[in-house]
Amino acid sequence: MIVIRLEDLLYSAPLLVLTSSGLLALIAEAAGRDKPVISYYTSLIGVITSLILTFLNLGAGVPVFNNMILQGGYAAYCNLIFLSSALLSIVLSRSYLERMQYHRGEFYVLIVFATAGMMLMAAALDLTIVFLGIELMSICLYVLAGFMRKKELANEAALKYFLLGAFATGFLLYGIALIYGTSGTTNLVVISRSFAQLSGNSLFLIGCGMLIVAFSFKIAAVPFHMWAPDVYEGAPTTVTAFMSTGAKAAAFATFVAVFVRVFDIPGTALSSVLALIAAASMIVGNVTAIAQNNVKRMLAYSSIAHTGYMLSGIAAGNAEGEQGILFYLVAYTFMNIGAFGIVSWVEQQEDRKLKFDDYAGFSARQPAVAVLMSVFMFSLAGIPPFAGFFGKYYVFLAAVKADMTWLAIIGVMTSLVSVYYYLRLVVLMYFCEGESDVAAKVPLAAISAVTLAAVLVILLGIYPSLLVDMTKGFFKI
Amino acid sequence: MDLYIIVFYLFALITLASAAIVVISKNIVYSAFALLFTFFGVAGLYVLLMADFIAVTQLLIYVGGILVLLLFGVMLTTKVIRVDMRTATVRTFPAVVIVAALAGTLIGIFWSTDWPQSPASDGFERTIPQIGEMLLTSYLLPFEIASVVLLVALIGAAMIARRERKAL
Repeated sequence: MIVIRLEDLLYSAPLLVLTSSGLLALIAEAAGRDKPVISYYTSLIGVITSLILTFLNLGAGVPVFNNMILQGGYAAYCNLIFLSSALLSIVLSRSYLERMQYHRGEFYVLIVFATAGMMLMAAALDLTIVFLGIELMSICLYVLAGFMRKKELANEAALKYFLLGAFATGFLLYGIALIYGTSGTTNLVVISRSFAQLSGNSLFLIGCGMLIVAFSFKIAAVPFHMWAPDVYEGAPTTVTAFMSTGAKAAAFATFVAVFVRVFDIPGTALSSVLALIAAASMIVGNVTAIAQNNVKRMLAYSSIAHTGYMLSGIAAGNAEGEQGILFYLVAYTFMNIGAFGIVSWVEQQEDRKLKFDDYAGFSARQPAVAVLMSVFMFSLAGIPPFAGFFGKYYVFLAAVKADMTWLAIIGVMTSLVSVYYYLRLVVLMYFCEGESDVAAKVPLAAISAVTLAAVLVILLGIYPSLLVDMTKGFFKI
Repeated sequence: MDLYIIVFYLFALITLASAAIVVISKNIVYSAFALLFTFFGVAGLYVLLMADFIAVTQLLIYVGGILVLLLFGVMLTTKVIRVDMRTATVRTFPAVVIVAALAGTLIGIFWSTDWPQSPASDGFERTIPQIGEMLLTSYLLPFEIASVVLLVALIGAAMIARRERKAL
């Protein structure tokens, strides 16, 4: 029996290169003490190389390693999201951590390994890989959330995330066990062939329900969202950026991979459950965000709301839904990481300058930064011509086509609510007096990262077809 | 009565009785020790099911690893923070609902499964070589990923627990 073919290694080159760069950075960190810069550059080179290799791999998806993972196609597309999120987070983190006096090499190692976990989650063709990928990503994130060890909020965030995450893992494993017990296999392709007959089995449905609980926890959907605001607030801001984009995109990628690409859910009870979760997330996320005074918490609730918008695409379960989510994830990644990047510049030690009022009069002192922040806020609110608008348009369109017009209506109504709190920040920046300032000089690398995100948000808003055409061929394995 | 049946009921009794003590006991140290017998009884049941690998892992990981860790955790924390670790019953209603749902699922599985009526084949077939071969052939990738997961857990634990080093 042939264990590994050469093609397996070639197709999974992005994953292998990334993991090796993580190991290299770890060795470099151990060898050259107190030089986190080595680890920074090693992981940066690893992520960029992996990104280039992924671009070369965008063709049709190929199952590799004995049908364990899918490489290319859908997986490659998702990898682009994770790798861009990792790249921007790494670049933004360096100056942020130096300012907060927590610059350590392990940080980048953990980001790289978390990204490897995300790539496995999106690529998984087997439930064992789904589990291992989620664990690899989550363990890294638990540590990253508590990276500022002396901060009480950070400790609380890490512990809360860890305990609730362990609980979600329990649900995931129980669900996988039930699915394995009823279908006799963990391979998703095999399960998809017999889905029609399995979906009548109540134990199989309970297993799927438990998977929904576990995934909903990872994407922070209501009612499994309790951890998100506290963790997003306590974690280092650049880690929050990474968690709310890369980790959320990865959880959505597995969600889509299992529930849209494998299970044929339209018309089943699973579809209605997902629609309810989506509606609850949109309502709770948007309404609670209004009451927030801390920008990080506001973005946390806004991310719950965005989870709701994207979940409507999964609940629809059709090709439009999948394409909508895939586009939305890219748009959301860039606009959110940009917003958090700017928050991380304004923030000062001991959690100062995180309030809304700290942004008053921002445009007078930092006109360029204020423009960038406004772009991200308009895009998050879903105002054309920014990328966020088309993301919402595609997922709501999918919901309408799947006869879930009520879901699309809730989506549009709650989006209107969200305009209030996004634009409040813009109004504060432009029309109020204040003495807010970016204290330290922001390095060129971090500015270029945020500018790149803004350019992509605008570009994708004007030419959404750049991405949408790419995703058309992915539906179903 | 068959010896096999007697041994099965013996192990089942050990498991259930000690599990009851784990739940009922007010002292968390007693609970932890009772858990030892629960794990041991379950390992015995695995042996009776001819699942040699799972039985050994059960002993090595649960009895040898997790339980010892648990006991250390209980003993060290009581000493450090001087809190008398007692267990109390809180949130009875949600617990009852969840446990009832879980029990219902398990009983459902129990009834719907088509159990083999004849005893297991006479010849004992070792599962360890098969599992080893599977791990290094069709499940090679998950096996390797598991090692990365363990590495990350190790780095993370060291990162959180290590002594403070001068910040840069």
